[in-house]
Order: sequence, then C-alpha cells, then structure tokens
Amino acid sequence: MADLHRADVLVSCRHGRTPELVTALRDEIERRGLAEEIRVVETGCSGFCSVGPVITVRPEGHFYASVQPADVPELVEETLVKGRFVQRLAYKEAAGRKAITRYEDLPFYAKQMRIVLRNCGMIDPRSIDEYIAVGGYEALGKVLTSMTPDEVIAEIKKSGLRGRGGAGFHAGRKWEATRRAKGDIKYVIANGDEGDPGAFMDRALMEGDPHAIIEGMIIASYAVGSHQGYIYVRDEYPLAVENLTLAIQAAREYGLLGEDILGSGHSFDIRIVRGAGAFVCGESSALMQSLEGKVGEPRAKHVHATDRGLFDRPSCLNNVETLANVPQIILNGADWFASIGTERSKGTKAFCLVGKVRNPGLIEVPMGMTLKQIVNDIGGGPPKFRKVKAVQTGGPSGGCIPASMLDIPVDYESLTEAGSMMGSGGMIVLDDRTCMVDISRYFLEFLKEESCGKCAPCREGIKRMLEILVAMTNGTAKAGDLERLETLAKTVQTASLCGLGKSAPNPVLSTIRYFREEYEQHIKDGYCASGACRELTAYVIVDEKCKGCGLCIKVCPQEGISGEQKQPHYIDQAVCIKCGACYDVCRLDAIKIVPKAAVSLGGNGGNGHGTPAATPAKDKPGAAKGKA
Amino acid sequence: MSNNGKFEPRIVAFLCNWCTYTAADTAGVSRMKQPPNVDIIRVMCTGRIDPVFVLKAFAEGADGVIISGCHPPGDCHYTNGNYKTFRRMPLVEMLLQQYGIEPGRFHWGWISGAEAPKWAELTREFTEQVRKLGPLNWKKQFASKED
Amino acid sequence: MAKITITIDGKPIQTEEGQTILEVCRKNNIYIPTLCYHPVLEPYGACRLCTVEVTRHGWPSLHTACTHPAWDGLVVRTNTAEVRAVRKTLMELFLSRTPNVPLIQEMAAEYGVTEPSYPVEDPNEKCILCGLCVRVCNDMVKAHVLNFSSRGVDRKVGPPFMEKTRECIGCGACTIVCPTGAIEIVLQKNAIYAAKPLGPTAAIYVPSLQAVPRVPVIDTDSCIRFRQRDRSNGEIEDACGACQMLCEANAIDFTQQDEILELNVGAIVVATGFQMWDSTKLSQYSYGKSPNIITALEFERLSNAAGPTGGQILTADGVKPERVAIIHCVGSRDKNPNAHEYCSRICCMYSLKQAHLVRDKTHAEVYEFYMDMRAFGKGYEEFYERVQEEGVVMVRGRGAEVQVLPSGKLRVTGEDANLGKLVAVDVDMVVLSSAIEPPADAQKIAQLFGLSRTPDGWFAEAHPKLKPVETNTDGVFLAGAAQGPKDVPDTVAHAGAAASMAVALLNRGEVTISPQVAVVDEKFCSACKTCLNICPYAAISFIVEDNVARVNEALCKGCGTCVATCPAGAITGKHFTDDQIMAQIEGLFRVPELVEA
Repeated sequence: MADLHRADVLVSCRHGRTPELVTALRDEIERRGLAEEIRVVETGCSGFCSVGPVITVRPEGHFYASVQPADVPELVEETLVKGRFVQRLAYKEAAGRKAITRYEDLPFYAKQMRIVLRNCGMIDPRSIDEYIAVGGYEALGKVLTSMTPDEVIAEIKKSGLRGRGGAGFHAGRKWEATRRAKGDIKYVIANGDEGDPGAFMDRALMEGDPHAIIEGMIIASYAVGSHQGYIYVRDEYPLAVENLTLAIQAAREYGLLGEDILGSGHSFDIRIVRGAGAFVCGESSALMQSLEGKVGEPRAKHVHATDRGLFDRPSCLNNVETLANVPQIILNGADWFASIGTERSKGTKAFCLVGKVRNPGLIEVPMGMTLKQIVNDIGGGPPKFRKVKAVQTGGPSGGCIPASMLDIPVDYESLTEAGSMMGSGGMIVLDDRTCMVDISRYFLEFLKEESCGKCAPCREGIKRMLEILVAMTNGTAKAGDLERLETLAKTVQTASLCGLGKSAPNPVLSTIRYFREEYEQHIKDGYCASGACRELTAYVIVDEKCKGCGLCIKVCPQEGISGEQKQPHYIDQAVCIKCGACYDVCRLDAIKIVPKAAVSLGGNGGNGHGTPAATPAKDKPGAAKGKA
Repeated sequence: MSNNGKFEPRIVAFLCNWCTYTAADTAGVSRMKQPPNVDIIRVMCTGRIDPVFVLKAFAEGADGVIISGCHPPGDCHYTNGNYKTFRRMPLVEMLLQQYGIEPGRFHWGWISGAEAPKWAELTREFTEQVRKLGPLNWKKQFASKED
Repeated sequence: MAKITITIDGKPIQTEEGQTILEVCRKNNIYIPTLCYHPVLEPYGACRLCTVEVTRHGWPSLHTACTHPAWDGLVVRTNTAEVRAVRKTLMELFLSRTPNVPLIQEMAAEYGVTEPSYPVEDPNEKCILCGLCVRVCNDMVKAHVLNFSSRGVDRKVGPPFMEKTRECIGCGACTIVCPTGAIEIVLQKNAIYAAKPLGPTAAIYVPSLQAVPRVPVIDTDSCIRFRQRDRSNGEIEDACGACQMLCEANAIDFTQQDEILELNVGAIVVATGFQMWDSTKLSQYSYGKSPNIITALEFERLSNAAGPTGGQILTADGVKPERVAIIHCVGSRDKNPNAHEYCSRICCMYSLKQAHLVRDKTHAEVYEFYMDMRAFGKGYEEFYERVQEEGVVMVRGRGAEVQVLPSGKLRVTGEDANLGKLVAVDVDMVVLSSAIEPPADAQKIAQLFGLSRTPDGWFAEAHPKLKPVETNTDGVFLAGAAQGPKDVPDTVAHAGAAASMAVALLNRGEVTISPQVAVVDEKFCSACKTCLNICPYAAISFIVEDNVARVNEALCKGCGTCVATCPAGAITGKHFTDDQIMAQIEGLFRVPELVEA
C-alpha cells in the first residue's frame, strides 16, 4: 500500500477549532514536500477535552496540548523535520507546573483503563483499514468461524457484561432471552440516543470508533439469530451519523455486513435511524416506538422487548458502549473481562467527567474505582480555593452523592444504594458554590421539558415539584413545602410509567437525603449559603477582613463596589446583581453571603455594610422574607 | 245506422284482459262519461291480436279500431305479450295505408288498469276523430265489388 | 387456556391466563379506580390510578393493574396505605389540573382531597390527557383525527394543528369514552345526523320492542366500522369492533351480508305497507323550517320511552311546550297535485291519541285543526269524546299555514268553519298529521307480480267488494295498507283474509288451471318452430318424433300470442279462437240490423 508513512500526526478531535488546525498542518506539510512521508490523521475524541485540541505524533509519542493554527509552522519544523520536542506546547500539570511530553506519561490517562475507548483518539474513525490494523473484526472472525451462538452467549454471560445505558441489565441474559424468543425475524438495536446534558461518551464512541459498535452488533446478531440491525442516533450528532454511515458502507464493501458474512452463512445488515433528540427516546420502549415511526412514548414493559419489541418482534437493544465492549471480551476472553471491576459490576465504564474539576473530559475507569480517585486523580480535583461538595452521577435523573461519601466505589449497586445511579455515565462535580436546591431545580426543569407527558405522575408531578423548587429558590416557599415535595417525589418515583419518570425525582430525593438542612434554610430562613439562588442572596463585605486591595472593585460588572485603597470596601445593594464575581475573586474571604432579608436598601447609600458578621440566618429566622 | 241522419262512427276496440279491459271496466264502474260508439272485444293479451282481426273489423263495417294493452316494459301479465304488439302494429298501420284506410282510423297504445280516466278520454277523443273522418263504408265497397 | 390462581386482597381467585390484573379485579367486583382504562381499548397506563401492590417472588412493588398481566401465583393488594398514598397524590395532581370536573372531584374526595393542592392554571380545563379519545379514534375508529401534540406539560389533545378536519366522521366515539366530558361534538348541517332529526339512534339496537326474533341489528349508516369502510372504499375494514370484543356470546358477525334467497312458493302475500308522505311538499306547513314542526311519526319517536328524550315531550330547546297544535289532513284530502286526494284514514285517531298524550305528559294546551273527525271504528267515537273532555281545543277547519316567528314560536292560522272566522294561535310545537302514501317503489312490485294499481297508486284488488285480497295474478294476495290506507284492526282483518286465501290455495293440493289454453292442431303444424321462441312460459315444446310442436297445458297461461303468431294457423286459443273473435266482430255489426228488423 502506498500509504506507508514515516510519521502519523494524530489530531483530536473534530470539534472546536480543530478543522482549521488540520488544514494548517496539511498545508504546512504540503509546503515542505512532506506529504508523502507524513500523514495527518483526524481521530475521534481523545478525552482530554480541557487541553484540546491535542496532537500526538507517532511513533515518537510526542504530546502537544492546546495547539493553535499559529503554532503549526514551529511544530512541523521542530518535530517533524528536526525531530525535537517543542517545550512551549507541552502539557503542564496543574500542580507543580511540570511539563509532560509523552502521551504515556499523562496522569490523566495513567489512571484510566481504556477498553471501550481504546481506539478513540488513536485511529482515523473513517478508515476501516485502521480499525482492522488495531485488531478490529478479529473477534467477529473468531465468532463466525469457531463459536456457536450459544457459546457466544455463554461467553458474554460469563464475562458479566452489564448494560452500559444505565439500568445494568446483564447483556448475556438479554441476548439469551432474545435467542430463545419465538419468531423468525429478530432485531438487534444499538441505542445511541444520548440525551443527558453534559454527557458525550456515546457520541465520542460513535464518532471515534464506529466499527467497534458495528462489530459488536454483528456478533450480537449472530448470537441472537438476527438479520437486521438498527442504530438509533440522535440527529444532533451529525458527525456520529456521518462516521457510522461511512463505517457501515466500508463494512459492507469488505463483506462484513450483508449476505453471508465472511463466508459463514450468517447475514446481517444495519440501518441508521436518526432520532429527533427527545430525551425519553433513550428509554427502550420509547426508542422502539420512535424506530417504528411513531411518537416516542414509552409503553408498559411487563412483556420484555426481547419477546415483543420493535414491530412486536423479539428485539435485543443494547447501548452502543455495551456493544463496543463485546469484541474485546471475545478476543481476550470472559475471564479477562471478569477480572476487571467489582464482584457484581465487571469491566470498565466510560464517564464524562465535567463540572468543577481541573481536567474535565471523557474517561474510562475500571468499575470499583472510588469517586474520590476519579475526581482527584484523574480530574485533578476542583479548581483553586474550592471544595468538592457533591458529585452528581447518572445524568439528569441521577442523584447527588455528597463529598463525605466520595469513597464509595463506582459500580451499579453502590451508586443506586447511595440514591443515585450509574446512568449512561454523566459525572458532574459540584463545588461549594453550588446550591443543591438550585441544582435540583435545574435538573427538574430539564426533565419537565423532556417528559413525554403520557403518564400523569411524570407530567403533572414534575411540573408541581418544579413549582415548589422554584418557590424555594425565589423565597416564596411555605412551611411544609419540603414534606409535600418529598411525598410528591416518592409518588412520581413509584407511580410513573417509564424509567424517565421513575428516576426523575432522584435529583430531588438524593439532595433532600444528604442536604436536607440546605432545603430547610431556603424555606425557613430564605437563605442560600452558596449564593446560587440570587433572589435569596446578598453579598456584604466584612470590614475586619477586607484589606482594601480593590480586586473586587475591578471585577464588579456593575461598578457597584466602592472604597478607598487599604480601607474596607462597600457593596451597593441597589445595583448588585449577585453575580458573585467579587466573592470568587476575594482572596481574604472578606466577602460574605448573607440572606437578602438581612440587608436593607435604605440608609447610607444603600450599602449593606455594617450588617451582622455572623451567619445572620440564625438571628432572623425567616421573619422577613427577602423580597425586592 | 245513423240517427237522425247524423253520422255515428262504429269503433271496435281490442283490449287486453289485464290492463285496458280493467281500465275500461273501472271507467264503467266509476261512471265515467264515454261515448257509446266503442265496442269492446276482450282478448287475454294484445299479443293474441291477429292483424286479420283488424281487417275483419274494418271489413265488417267499423269506422275505427283501437288496440290497447299493458304498458311496456313490465306491465304485461304475460311478461312480454305487449312487445309482440309493439312490433306488429306498425306493420298493421302500413298495411292499412296500403288499403287506403286513413291512419286516424286506427289507434294502438297502452292503458294500464289504473288509468280508467285515460280510457274514457281516449274513447271520447278517438270517437270525435273518427267522426271527423266520416264513414269508411268499406263493407259497402266490398259489397259493390262483389255485386 | 390455562387456569391460574392469583391472590387479590388475601382472597385466592381462580381465573384464566391472558388477562390483566385489572380485568380479573373487574370480573370479581374488586374496585380499582381508573381514568384511562376502557375495556375495548389496549391498556395505556397513563393515569396510574390503578396502581396496586404486586408481590412476585416475595418482592412487593407497585404496578398499574391495567397493564400488569395476571400471572399465576401473584399476590395483589389493591388498597394498602402505600397504594392509597400514591392515589391520593395523583388525585391531588388531577384535581389541581381540572378543579371543576365533577368526576375528578368525586374521585378525589374518596381520597380525602377536596381542594386543589397546587396552583390552578385554568379552572375551565377538563382534559386529563388520559388518551382514551386518542386511542378510540386511532385504534377503534381508525379515523386518525385526534392525537396528542406537543410534549410534556404542553401536551394537548386535538386534530392536526388544532384545526377542523374533514377526516373527522363525527362518530362521537371520543365523547363517549371521555371520562371528564372534555369533548363536545357540534352538529353541523349536512352532518350524518341531519337525516335523523330526532337524534341518532345507537348504531346497534333492537329494531322494536316487539321485534321477533328479539336480536339487535347494526345500523350500517351509523356504525363507525361500516362508515369507515364505506368512506375509505374498503381500505379500512377493521375499524371499531367494540361490540364484537365485548359480546361474550361471540354473536356479532360483521361479515353478514344481505342474502338473496330463492324460494319456491305456492302463494305470495304482498304486504308492502305505506310510506309517509313528504311533508315538505306543501310549503305552507313550513316543515323543516323549525325543529319544532314535526310529523306525527316523529312525535311517536319523541314520546317513545326509548326515544331521544326518554319519552318526555320536549321542544328542540329541551323544555316542555306550553301550547301544541296538531294539524289534520296534511297532504290528504287535498287536490293539490303535490298532495293526495284520498283520506289517509288513520290520522284522525292517532292525532286524538297524540293530543291525549300531550295533555297527559305536559298539560300543554292542544289545538286540533280538523276538517271532519272520522272516528269510524268501534270505540273510536267514545275516545273522541274523552279527548274532548280532556280539554283539547277542537278547531273545525283545515290548518292553512304555519309560520315560524322570529322569536322561534310558531303561528298556526286556519279557518274555524264553525265560527266562520279566520283564527290564529301561537304555539311551541306543531305536529303535522301527514298523509300516508304507497311506497315509492310500488310500481316495481306491481310489475314484479303483474299487479295493477288504482289511480291513487295503491295496489288494486281483483274486485273491490267480492275479491278484496285477491289480485289479477293467481296466487298473489294483498294484505294491509299495500291495498289502501288502513288502521291496525283493518289491517289485521285484511291480512287474516289474505293469509286464509293463501292457505286455502295451498291446502287444495291441486291447482285448477284456466281452461284458456292453446292447442296445436298437429295436422296443420308445419314444424316451423316459430311458436317455440314466442312463448314466454316455454310451454310449447317441439316433439321431434312426431315433428310437431305441442303445448304443455299446465304451463300455458293462455295469452294467445302463439295463436296470433302461427303462420300455419295451426294453433288455437281455447275460448278465444279465431272463429269466436271473428264471430264477435261480425256480431257487433249484425245486432243493429236485428233491432231494425
């Protein structure tokens, strides 16, 4: 083949300004006449989003972070022509500012275990040859030539692979049920409808390694006896749709899809169905309704989809991440897979680590790693000055796990026990500037929008819960509202039709469970300690601590802070918009968050200066609700 | 034959038993006004009417002949006897013309059992029509020829 | 079906497999509240009110009874504290959504919820989004008019784009299943019910209380299934079918077709009855211009206990009339070409009866406009007297005109011949005693049986006095109003006579045929076979051995057509021989001479 190259330049990923960077690189390489020798590869997501776009030069393993198009000439000159490392573009560790030059040495990756994401950021997702070069479709060959469907199912069952979509149903059992179900026509469906805000594992996988999903689906089809597969992708992921389409075409050309795959007699083909982006369509029965061309609404699931699913035929629905695990299990054996993880949760799980951490990004860790390890070791801990308050897992319908419980291992059971869930793998780190009432309100607002409205508890209940939460965040809540909220949440949890409704109260219930006093503060005292509920909040400067440095004066967007140098400053409550910029910037802890009711707009130019220094909430228990 | 020298036409009517004869009967029962000039010969069906009867009537001295039966298409008691009449009578008309008998002396048509007034009207009008045409005197002509 | 045992509220229940928990409970009279369930529709699981506690493999959890299959060994508790708590919260939510729907108020009160617990957004909201109407429209009716639009809290029910659509067939199925009365059907002109001024009957009903056999029939004009099939040219042939699903005897068969039976019979009684004369033909009565001008037959429907008002006599506004006028001889005894000259015979008496009913049920003033009161039957005159004593105002004289006043009242004018004055009365309801007339297709029947009709259109009997039920066609008899207007006793008597005549004919065992048959004089038959085709009864056959045509006397009706046709003059029609007819003709012209002689 003509494309033997001296070096590969892997550029990740295809979002943001990367396309310009790639063009610049190609132009530069072309200009220097190196096009024959050096290839620029656009890979999928490498996961290290906070320092993107990243460039890895193979075979040397040079790793460059935050590369801009302007850096390209230097990079090409130094690295590709002269073989030297450009120190300027190296990734520097947050603590210690130590430069790390090689991909293998990055702490972000060192703690991870990439099975599903092994190829993301490593290969060109649009090239089936690259996938095959890294061992792709080997598992399929093994399955088709040397294993019976029952052996495949036995292997998957033995591996302990569980559904990565969130519910954690054993994939092997699902396959077995589908295989046993009566019917000539069966379907294999890959669920790529990732609706959680802030989650992009499935997207990264579909964009970065589509062949792994396809290979997993073909193996599944062989195991359950299906000849037609569907990949349900949301249309907001155009690149995923594009890469999957290309991958399916390539697989067909190579005889990996279609009639008589690899001469085994097994036939299977895949169609991509694009969803319109309803969160509820990630729910299996709603997804199948949507596949059938109907409105995506869930239905009662007393009869499993494995018996009567899509078009009332046996259907095996797996998350794309689950399917991407399959080839590795077949290749390396169930025992290898089962050796990873905890007793009941095997293998690894991809997470989207976002929120208040230094290194947000796409990670994959073995089951059983503690939240603390993930947040601190991989995520690099929260940014300066801040403390982790809670970790929200499982997407909008997951729950919040408080900082005190960060030692729990990440697996299906532990998270559920803690009132959250594995979900599809969202992981949001919250710091002490986050109000738990507000965060519940935020998630319920999302769920209110995304509830399909079919069943009454979800449709009406979420609306009413949200009403109460809004009242709490704006200070109009009444005594007893918390109890009403709890009762309502429990009813919605037990009585709703589908997983969306049943898990919708999780953010509320888990935050009430761990942060009940915060809710009570909101109701009784009209006080939001984090300052996130602006209508309850006022910022005041504590004279004793303020040294008059003037930092806050500079950052205040309203120009509402005044004061002489080296003298305590004042905040004009009349213009303050409670953005908290002064609070964040003050290094002396001189700015305090107090209930709005505790400050007056009158006298002394409306300066809140001079109010009690101690937490005033206790002095004025809800006597006057802070209402502007 | 004539009363007070005034010409009174003699008319022979061949009527089918089921329709026109019934109508004529009803007309009589209902005391409808009819001229006495019409003499009725009942046949079971107009299909029974042999053209010879018509000629015979004229030959015997009739000044006019009426043939009337059931309405086509479906009134005929015998399913389709009236159709046979329908086909025969135009031929009879031609025949009569060849004999020199005016068309006005021969009438064929349909009157159902429910149409008694129509029968009464027909007799009145036809009688007047024949009266205007005057006596036929066929019999006398034959007699003179025979003589 | 396999037998299973499930335990509901501690009581073991034996039942068959393949049902839901809710169905088992309903069959065993265990109350479970529901809002989105209907027995003929697929369970939907939207209202969640039927939530019960189901214990399977020792693991209790809450499920909706409407969707959960009744599996063997389940333990179900329908009324635990937890279940009640869930239902209570749900009722709070429902009541806050639809605070003014009586059903919701009632159900909420069962769980101690009397006031909306949450802020009410729209006090006039009635829809609880249970989806019954959507499902009935799509799954049963297959009209696909109603569906949900928007998502979540914005969810709404309606036709596409909330606009009027021609796809709606106005079947009303949605209004029937709606538990909260949130859907109304507005009748428009030209709607299907326009042809049924006194309201739709159900599409499936027993034709009359005296029907034999007393089985219901399906009115295919009203039946959703048949209407959808007609409308879609048979494409949608599996619409509705609710009755079939609910009929435990499995007695409903949509494939039943009208059959044409061919019977060989010895006698036929024609009893085709009458039809109502169309009262719009005389515009002075303003029939059709006001819903309160009704015909006597419509009045019968109105006052029927099984009718639209349950037997109450009400105006179109649903109130009892204060004054009612009954006009006799509408379309009868009228020389107007649009009307009938004859007396319809039955109107006087039924009008008196209706006057009596109006007095009895509403105490309204009743005005009877009559020309002559023909109370001719036994006991009729006495009834007439009685109705007069009940205070019915008798106006002797034809009701001349009915005017619809702008106020909606009706003004009846007419001449009171006794007073010699023009009178007018304003009433709330006018009943027209419309004429009866022969059915529109009487002529077809007449042709079919060879019957004749009298000038007024009724079938003619063979003789008005001596043969009142016979016709000119042997073996065909008339009964009842087919022969002329008759009231019930007369009809019964007439029909009895017809039946007797028919039975007498059948019991005779042998049939006397008319002697008027044709015979072939075989000496003269030239074997031309002309007669074979001419005979409408195929009574003539050709005998090959003898080389002659021969008449079967049993088949021959004696029309004589063959006689006139035979070119050889070989056929003779008995009793109407050529000689006889010739003699008649000759005889006609010989008589006067005899008189002169």
